[in-house]
Amino acid sequence: MSRRRSLTLAVGLTLVLIPAVAVIVSFFWLPFSPDDTSGGRLAPPGDGHLLGTDKLGRDLFTQLLLGGRIAFATGLGAVGVGGVLGVSLGLLAGFATRWLDDAAAVALDILIAFPTLLLAMLIVAGAGASLGTAILAIGFGLAAVVARLTRVLVKQVLSREYITAARVAGISWPRIVATHVLPNIGPVVLVNLALQTGLAVLAEASLSYLGLGTPPPNASWGRMLFEAQATVLTAPRAAIAPGVALIALVIGVNLTADGLRDLADPTRRRSR
Amino acid sequence: MEKYIVKRVLAAITALGLAGVLAACGGGDNKDATSANTGAAVIQVGSVYEPQNLDNTAGGGQGVTEALNGNVYEGLFKLTDTGAVEPLLARDRKVSDDGLTYTFTLRPNVKFHSGKALTSADVKASIERVTAANSKSARKSNLEVVKEITTPDDSTVVVKLKQRSISFVYNLSYVWIMNSQAKEFTTTEDGTGPYKLGEWKRGSTLTLDKFDGYWGTPAKNAGVVFHYYTDATALNNALLTNAVDVVTNEQSPDALAQFDSNKAYQVTNGKSTTKLLLAFNDKVAPFNKVEVRQAISSAIDDKKLLSSIWGDYGTPIGSMVPPSDPWYEDLTSVNGYDPAVAKQKLAAAGLPNGFTFTLDTPNYDPHPTAATFIKSELAKVGITVHINTITADEWYSKVYQKRDFQATLQEHVNDRDVVWYGNPDFYWGYRNPQVTKEIDQAEQARTTDEQTTLLKKANKTIAEEAASDWLYLYPQIVVASSKLSGYPINGLNAQFLAYDIVKN
Amino acid sequence: MLRYLLRRTAILLVSLVLAAVVLFLLLRLLPGDPVNALLPVGATPEQIEAARRELGTDVSLPIQFLNWLRDAGTLDLGRSLISTLPVGPEIVARLPVTIPLTLSAFVLAVLVAVPVGVLAAVRADRWYGLILNAVAQLGIAVPAFWLGLLLITVFALRLQVLPAGGFPPDGWSEPGAAIAALVLPVGTVALVMSASLIRYVRAATLEVLGADYLRTARALGESPASALRRHGLRNASVPVIAVLAVELATTFLGAVVVESVFALPGLGSLLVTGIRQHDYPVIQGVMLVSTAAVLLVGFLGDIVQRLIDPRLLQRGAS
Repeated sequence: MSRRRSLTLAVGLTLVLIPAVAVIVSFFWLPFSPDDTSGGRLAPPGDGHLLGTDKLGRDLFTQLLLGGRIAFATGLGAVGVGGVLGVSLGLLAGFATRWLDDAAAVALDILIAFPTLLLAMLIVAGAGASLGTAILAIGFGLAAVVARLTRVLVKQVLSREYITAARVAGISWPRIVATHVLPNIGPVVLVNLALQTGLAVLAEASLSYLGLGTPPPNASWGRMLFEAQATVLTAPRAAIAPGVALIALVIGVNLTADGLRDLADPTRRRSR
Repeated sequence: MEKYIVKRVLAAITALGLAGVLAACGGGDNKDATSANTGAAVIQVGSVYEPQNLDNTAGGGQGVTEALNGNVYEGLFKLTDTGAVEPLLARDRKVSDDGLTYTFTLRPNVKFHSGKALTSADVKASIERVTAANSKSARKSNLEVVKEITTPDDSTVVVKLKQRSISFVYNLSYVWIMNSQAKEFTTTEDGTGPYKLGEWKRGSTLTLDKFDGYWGTPAKNAGVVFHYYTDATALNNALLTNAVDVVTNEQSPDALAQFDSNKAYQVTNGKSTTKLLLAFNDKVAPFNKVEVRQAISSAIDDKKLLSSIWGDYGTPIGSMVPPSDPWYEDLTSVNGYDPAVAKQKLAAAGLPNGFTFTLDTPNYDPHPTAATFIKSELAKVGITVHINTITADEWYSKVYQKRDFQATLQEHVNDRDVVWYGNPDFYWGYRNPQVTKEIDQAEQARTTDEQTTLLKKANKTIAEEAASDWLYLYPQIVVASSKLSGYPINGLNAQFLAYDIVKN
Repeated sequence: MLRYLLRRTAILLVSLVLAAVVLFLLLRLLPGDPVNALLPVGATPEQIEAARRELGTDVSLPIQFLNWLRDAGTLDLGRSLISTLPVGPEIVARLPVTIPLTLSAFVLAVLVAVPVGVLAAVRADRWYGLILNAVAQLGIAVPAFWLGLLLITVFALRLQVLPAGGFPPDGWSEPGAAIAALVLPVGTVALVMSASLIRYVRAATLEVLGADYLRTARALGESPASALRRHGLRNASVPVIAVLAVELATTFLGAVVVESVFALPGLGSLLVTGIRQHDYPVIQGVMLVSTAAVLLVGFLGDIVQRLIDPRLLQRGAS
């Protein structure tokens, strides 16, 4: 792999792993208790508070770590849901023939027509705002995109000669799926899922900003940004920190996905 | 080739667009729009309370009172910004000795905005709208004491009550006198006030134009435009960039710092009637035990909560009665902050190791903040709180209608609402027959002194028994441009009387 | 071509109906009885029944759906549960904000992304190509609302040259103020969109740069720029146009968050308010209109794509 591409992957992984490690550590140790309101409103950094305090007197850095938990949970959770659901649907659609296939293609196009964020908003509207609902809602939104990709890939694989050969040799469909289809579509789908992770994290932040995501007092970066708006001129820290964290994580995820894509298919001359 | 044509066209559009933008940037704002004939200014008011519709008996919400009360619609009486009740459309009134018959004489020569004259039939119809079965008016239960309304002639209204009601005239100040012949009130209006409705753009603005046919002193300005924002920051930004001249009710304590030290703005701190309550479901264990409620009240440092949310603003309170009510007394020391006492009371109630409960918390400020604070305070005495965040309509159906809750947080806006504790069917389920009797007697009192004495007594009991925990009284902060004067600073019951506002 | 057109139109219509079904089911499956919003406390069973009749929820589900379809077909989108005002006119009133916002942002994004993307591809090996790529990466990671917040802080609050939000009460009859109100929101949406468009354009151009027909043209003596212009861009534009159609559709309601940040009375903020208040008719109405718009744009995008795809043109495709 070229030096530039390995640099991409390295930078990406760093940007992802640092917060990941911080979040894992946060389950065992936090600088301050999340409910500790003794710090004084909007205090500047100092006194053990790395980034100062928020308007309730809670340590901003601790809140940032808690928000990181939600970001990772949503990113991984939504992609997990979307991946499993999407691949399953895509497999079924890939095997469908003629009019069923047409119908599947149309259905998927419609589902994709609902922008992920809006589909998520709709689901949250009914099921109530919580981390679980947000993960499921964003996951459903992603599933359609994954399903469409999987369908196209499955059709490509199914048209190859070794599949016909395997069928002639009497191998059952489930085994063919396990041994030929999945391994062949795997890398591309995984890279696509990696790319969707960034979108999932941003979608959760947007939902929380609108008040439709993880409800307070749980700090999600999106929610923290919403609350920081009121003090953006007097204490910009509270608005900058979650924003930077969010951007860094999403860049990291995207770069990692790009790097993985180049790893998966080194014959491609370009990086996307 | 096509691509090039497309690109050229798009480039042209953008160039035009940019030119337009540049022109606009120099265009400035025409916020100081003056009316052609009087030279008075149009006042731009900013608020977060957009009315849902324009009818206060059809669930218009707090916003409809703010925009229309006293401005577009008037009542027989009006509540001034200092809390006094003065005659408005009722020129005078006579009360029978037994207190059951009120005779009102209407002011002559009053016309509705449509041109029709005000008659007693309109008054009768308006009161009946509030007491109608499908009315969603907040004053419906207050006016249920009305037995019958008759209109012997066009300018006289006779109201017979089922029993004495010393607050009757006060309650009438909330009843809008609407044209009984108008067709609908949710998107249009026909009132007698100094302004008529201009245009209402939902989600954006509501415009009031000065009504030239007004019976009384005309408004001092040419009109009012209410700008609605869904969050406090956008509203404050609008004030900072002079898109609005005044904010009716400052919601965001954090933003005050920007205005406090800025000479271009004045910040006034008036008397509010909005209280933040930690309401227990008094019918449900363990809150049916007085000691438990008292323990929780003693475990929460209300002053600290208030200062962490509002800094130096706001008022601590020890009961449901705000300082502007005649029967107010300072009860903040009743069940005051004392964690040691809290632990004792818990032990006395048989819960020495504390307990766990769910706090249904509305998802808008300041409830989540208060909930977090309460959770950490109660943890210190061994009580674990689960915060369950819900939306406003979930609160309405789950807590208010179904009473399916253990404890909840809610802000209560009205004044004189301690009387709700006399109703054992109210959502918090407080039942004390003695208190109920005292409150009923107070309403039927012959003098206001008698009423005050009775309500003070009842209120003391309610506070001592910690029927709820009254966390603090919101400040009523109005932030306005220094060029403005004549705006209301107390905003009692969410009204915003705009007719005296002058922009220099 | 005509056969394709007919087939594609059929798919569009089926998609519309299917979308309506999905929307309808999604909302009906949600917990919570919409009548709660209509009734005062302590409503009697007769009142509840009357409210249900008014809402139309007293009949069975399939009939409800058919009623709704019929109403939607005649453009009667019901009434808001909260304000009791009809939804259709409400939506129409919001369009003068959302449509200019979406289209301007889209045009601006395309105007920025196309030249930048092509440049980034052609000069991918130079340092400034790398910088452009990095900037694009940054752009797609920035949440739109954060960028909006930043722009408000700098241009509205600090420099005080543009409004911090809101839309003039008289709308477009004050064109200067209306345009001023849209500058920052359009900028926000355009910046975010152009970041992702840059990547698509760059990728499509790179793919084309390595293609055989380009090398052939070069071998036949054409200059690189001319070859790119005459052969490459047309081919590159096919996938880009497909993406553009989707992006335009996404912007239409992706501006939801931006409308919230800038307090613009557009379609997006109507939807958010409707969702917050569980106002089902409003939610249904807005989503139906927006989905229809998205499907329509996709339809048009497909047609345009077929019109300009050189491979299809050569074959005289139908």
